[in-house]
Amino acid sequence: MMDHLEAMLRPPKLDMAPYPAKHILLANGETMVVRSASLDEVDVLLDAIDPLRTLDRDFYDVVGARLYAELLGWKRHRVRNEYCLVGVIDGELAGIVNGRMFDEKHGISYHTLTLKRGLRIGAHLFASKMEHHIEYLGQDEVWIVAESPIGHRRWMIEYPLQQKFSIQHELGGAPSWVLTRETYFKAKSRLVSGARPVPAHLLEKSYPIRKPDLRTMLIQIGETLEAKL
Amino acid sequence: MRDVVIVGAATTQFGRAQWSLLKLMAEAAHGAITDAGIERKKIDAVYVANMGSARNNRQAGIASALVDRMNLYPVAADTIENGPASGASAVKNGFLAVASGMYDCVLVVGGERMQEVNNFEATEFVSYLSHRFAEYIYGITLPALAGMFARLWMQKYGVTSEHLAMVAIKNHANALLNPASHLKMPIAMEGLLHSPDSAMNNPFVADPLRFFDCCPVSDGAAAVLLAPADLAKNFKKTPIVISGIGQATDTQAVHERPDPTVLTAVQTASRKAFAMAKLEPKDISLAELHDAFTILEIAQSEQVGFFPEGEGHLALERGVTQITGKLPINASGGLKAKGHPVGATGVSQIVELALQLRGEAGKRQVKNPRHGFALNFGGFGNNVVATILSKGA
Amino acid sequence: MAHTVNAARCNKCGQLSYPTHYYCSKCNATEFSPIPISGEGTLLTFTRAYALSLDYEQLYVTFGIVQMDQGVRATGQLDIQEPVLGMRVRATVGPVRDIGGRDVFGLRFVSVFPDAAAVESDQPALSASPSAS
Repeated sequence: MMDHLEAMLRPPKLDMAPYPAKHILLANGETMVVRSASLDEVDVLLDAIDPLRTLDRDFYDVVGARLYAELLGWKRHRVRNEYCLVGVIDGELAGIVNGRMFDEKHGISYHTLTLKRGLRIGAHLFASKMEHHIEYLGQDEVWIVAESPIGHRRWMIEYPLQQKFSIQHELGGAPSWVLTRETYFKAKSRLVSGARPVPAHLLEKSYPIRKPDLRTMLIQIGETLEAKL
Repeated sequence: MRDVVIVGAATTQFGRAQWSLLKLMAEAAHGAITDAGIERKKIDAVYVANMGSARNNRQAGIASALVDRMNLYPVAADTIENGPASGASAVKNGFLAVASGMYDCVLVVGGERMQEVNNFEATEFVSYLSHRFAEYIYGITLPALAGMFARLWMQKYGVTSEHLAMVAIKNHANALLNPASHLKMPIAMEGLLHSPDSAMNNPFVADPLRFFDCCPVSDGAAAVLLAPADLAKNFKKTPIVISGIGQATDTQAVHERPDPTVLTAVQTASRKAFAMAKLEPKDISLAELHDAFTILEIAQSEQVGFFPEGEGHLALERGVTQITGKLPINASGGLKAKGHPVGATGVSQIVELALQLRGEAGKRQVKNPRHGFALNFGGFGNNVVATILSKGA
Repeated sequence: MAHTVNAARCNKCGQLSYPTHYYCSKCNATEFSPIPISGEGTLLTFTRAYALSLDYEQLYVTFGIVQMDQGVRATGQLDIQEPVLGMRVRATVGPVRDIGGRDVFGLRFVSVFPDAAAVESDQPALSASPSAS
């Protein structure tokens, strides 16, 4: 039984609809399953993110460190209404996105981290996250900030997002941008892909999540091996 | 003129560099020197091909800087900037220096470190190649020029998006066999074009060209060492003869060309190289073409003279240009997948041909090649250098 | 002040060229007069480009090459939702890029028969841009 103090520290949760898993055929012929990660799986995600927290390339350090903290906060029940989606290829982790419900109608996008690059996995997963907020969590708006120029370009211009500088996004940093239901449904056919349901054998292969080999991952990201291994 | 041979050749890993541009170049140069088995004090002159070090890496006078980095003083040193054709231009200048008798041992190094700036800046920097007042001010990029070219070409000859993807699939597969290549990733038609997920996997960059029709932004360096044929016995590797070089220019603004699908400079440069080598396109065993965009491999394969007009994509369909085909094109992976560090590209094409002609190309070795052809394409075809290498007698 | 984009007319033989070159391509003379590019022309080719320089906040810019009835060809931006090869277009001049905080003016082509062009849509018809060049 949870003690009284711990119960006080745990924020009350809103009901959150599950994200139905989907599968995406990638340019290299592999199939990526996008599904929600459970609290039991946080440890393997943390393990995969860990070496990226000091990687000074393409904002991997900032995104890695903050995502690590967000997922740990979720696992320890210190962040309210958080969710995490993963992209998994043949059981191997390819990318992570997360966010949370601010309240019933407003969502907050946290981070997008790609571990396997060159296949637009980040773009697929960001779109899945927007899909989750609007279509499954049933929200009216998602608040977004970008931490890299690539992210800015991709999210702000491609959707395109609207400025809503009156809101301070809880990641701090630049003022907030907003994806509304209307913008989402206009962009959906262009930017959201994947098919449901995921065939049973594919879904099974996405459990348990394996973290990618560190060397392969760092070569993918393009960091100096000497410095990190 | 003296006959000139390649006595040393090397390339760095392409992709994202761990090192500064100078160290990358030095690594390639050291590779070529070691390959030739000489002492570096034998070098008389250095030609360095690079397009953007002053802008992207805050280093101007890159040839002098490289000499310093490698303690090569007091050699003669020149930087050659000819856009994406800088590499082959530098080899040409090295060739002339040796052929003339002025120098006996010339080092040619090409290198670029593009990823020191972000992709938007890299795109912007490369777009400086376009005409400043008639193209650049509109936001024209090289992919946009290639997109306008591709639209015309596809309409005229019945080339489809599938043909373009076939070039990319072939070159990605070849790059998997090349340890130095940037992209080591197989790709497949279904995910590129035929799946509901394709629009997201492979979006338009400049329609009809898509993401996987374009080369990556790469770092890398390559180097060759040149010497007169009569001194070749002093070096440890089989000398490879530079048998032909041709170069030609064309209008800077693409719209001024009478027929924008005709790459006049490609045709002229190739014809000159073949004439100098006393060879014909049918004599060529393998070619490295400038596939910065997939459409260019198809177009160049015709305009160089390998295939009749309108049949480049048919040769591709029949597998003629595969490593095992009759005329392998871009066995290295090409710019598309080996990568395109702008100043290094032309030199690396020549390194690839030299390795292939020596029989040292490993898993991507073409069977018994005699003559290799390289096409290095500057701007959007406004300055083109064709080079032919031959196995010695 | 009205902005123009000028072709060069050779003062000796009348040959028009765009952009300007030092020598006339026909008679080698070196004196020219500016002639504004204007009127109608035919669209030779076009592309919708998504990978743009950081100066642009749009999803894409449409570029085209036009054969002007005046005799010269020109590259410019297209204000045409669904361009078609061979369509008739008219040259206008407007801002095409912001360089260093200042608008740069250039050619923007519009359809001569706007009704014949596809219906305006605020939904981009094509797909998105990658981060690579």
